Amino acid sequence: MTTPTRPAVDRRTAAAMYGTMALIRRFEQAAYRGYEQGEVHGTVHVGIGQEAVAVGMIGALRETDSVLSHHRGHAHALAKGVPPERLMAELYGRSDGVSRGKGGSMHATDLRRGFLGTMAIVGSSIPVATGVALANKVRGRDDVCVAFFGDGAVNQGVLYESLNLAALWRLPVIFVCENNSYAITTAVGDATAGPGVAARAEAFGVQAETIDGQDVLAVREAAERMIEGARAGRPALVECLTYRFMGHSRGDPAHGVYRDKEEVELWQRRDPLRVLAEHAGLGDDLAAELTAEARERVRAAVEFAGRSPVPGPAALMEDIVK
Amino acid sequence: MTTTTPAAATAPDAAPGAAQPATATFAAALCAAQHDAMRLDETIVLLGQDVRAGFPFGATKGLVDVFGPDRVVNTPISEAATMGCGVGAALGGIRPVVEVDFAGFLLLGLDQLVNNGAKLRYMSGGQASVPLVVRVGQGPLGSFAAQHSQTQHAYLAGIPGLTVLAPATAQQAYDAMRWALVQDDPVVLLEDMRLYRRGGPLTRGPVPGSVTSTVHRPGTDLTILTFGHGVVTALQAAQEVAARGIDVEVLGLDSLNPLDVAGVARSVRRTGRVLCLADDPPLFGTAATLSLVATTEAHDVLRAPVLSLGGRAVPTPYTPGLEALVYPTPGAAAEAITTLMKWTD
Repeated sequence: MTTPTRPAVDRRTAAAMYGTMALIRRFEQAAYRGYEQGEVHGTVHVGIGQEAVAVGMIGALRETDSVLSHHRGHAHALAKGVPPERLMAELYGRSDGVSRGKGGSMHATDLRRGFLGTMAIVGSSIPVATGVALANKVRGRDDVCVAFFGDGAVNQGVLYESLNLAALWRLPVIFVCENNSYAITTAVGDATAGPGVAARAEAFGVQAETIDGQDVLAVREAAERMIEGARAGRPALVECLTYRFMGHSRGDPAHGVYRDKEEVELWQRRDPLRVLAEHAGLGDDLAAELTAEARERVRAAVEFAGRSPVPGPAALMEDIVK
Repeated sequence: MTTTTPAAATAPDAAPGAAQPATATFAAALCAAQHDAMRLDETIVLLGQDVRAGFPFGATKGLVDVFGPDRVVNTPISEAATMGCGVGAALGGIRPVVEVDFAGFLLLGLDQLVNNGAKLRYMSGGQASVPLVVRVGQGPLGSFAAQHSQTQHAYLAGIPGLTVLAPATAQQAYDAMRWALVQDDPVVLLEDMRLYRRGGPLTRGPVPGSVTSTVHRPGTDLTILTFGHGVVTALQAAQEVAARGIDVEVLGLDSLNPLDVAGVARSVRRTGRVLCLADDPPLFGTAATLSLVATTEAHDVLRAPVLSLGGRAVPTPYTPGLEALVYPTPGAAAEAITTLMKWTD
């Protein structure tokens, strides 16, 4: 794991990052409660503990850059600027949801904000991001596209097919592996041979590194470098070591069968919010103020979602084709 | 953008950019359609294995000389990523055409086509457009054996979000491709490989307003519902029975999804007898669907039960004698017509 020099981040930027992470944290806690109350349907995958990856990476993007995500994608959506109330309404299956209630937690999309979608077939967004980058190149734009995926995706063949295409065609794409140690209950070591995904990417001539995914400043620093390279036609892969504090999906226990309580607690000591507050010296008052702001925004989002109408039967056959 | 004259290497019948040929092969018509569309829309990019060389059927031959390697892109043998890239490129604002030479290869790209391409608009509540065109070679080619000889019409046409076209003539191939290249959603062109070298009249006209169905032969006694190469079989059968005074109408379904239900109804309600003809096995296949539509639309006026004639339910064998037994022949179709005509009102 490389340990780059931590960039000097001004207090305002640090506070903004803290605020976004706090928003994501509160949002996902509310989403989880929503599931328990029967307002969020089917299933819900929260990434509590992994906020620094989304915020560090997406915070370094321009508005015209784009992001593709996966089944655990609330953080990416919110970091890209998707309004929390529209996202919560989507989770509630309501008409004001970003995807009109038809996508849900696993397929929230907001094209206007460059949040091109969340694809829940593991690894499936990777070639799509590669194609978006191809379109950017063909259109003569220097926007980049970022594909987020978990450690569970690193044994999907499309990742390597896509790395090959990205390197071959010099595409402005960044592959971000959120290695949270487990694909549902399967530990990385039980699924992945060899020295890891970064080394695999390097074999394609793609610039790659492994970084501390709990440190938003480290993620931000790597993101800035990689985005600059990608704009110039040098695709990149970054593996962020992180941890999900909760179970895989709705109702799954955080520990028990496949990992013990001590391991979870060890990682919780490296809560990305705490890590940033300490590194940036935010102070308790500012942290509390930002947390209160996040709580208020999420409260309003929940209220908005609850008020939004349920789509009527007429919506069923709309939006299949134009 | 480049609009130079085509290289001398271009196949004479492909002749992109040349004076309008009176006739062209099915493959050359596809090539001409891509050429004409690419001249008008510089966001069209071709992606596929050996597309620069126009291998194996000549449907992209010479285009790299006109439009350059950035728009006619050879891909590695990575069907899954290529299809995903096509979906992403379409999402990103250009119009990719992904060429899949043989149906068997499409299976590797189906995850991307079905899970993403076909569903993104719906999953995003109408936001996402995926103007992707996928060209896939279908059917037998003559002793290419089971993996290179497949028909996927029934499966693909049943996927909501995919438009599925099955042209039967050079002109229809041209029109289908031109139409596909102005749509906002993914379109799959199922190209029967037996048709690639068949010639037919071609007018390189404007983009058609729609692709629905074509009456290839008007008739009064009986309707054959078919598509793609089935039209060739049907026309031969119709000619065979015409000698016996049976007047068959051949209705080609140029689009399988959406299906021209009104066109089917018009024809079958007029003739009152229906033969559904397809290359895939009749059970759970396209013939079964056409039969369902015909029955639903015309049950009150049918003069005989709807008959279906499909291919045999078997992986396509290699040896010519056995392969010839798999797909419906004009003779078998004529026999089915005879059976239908024996039915009394």
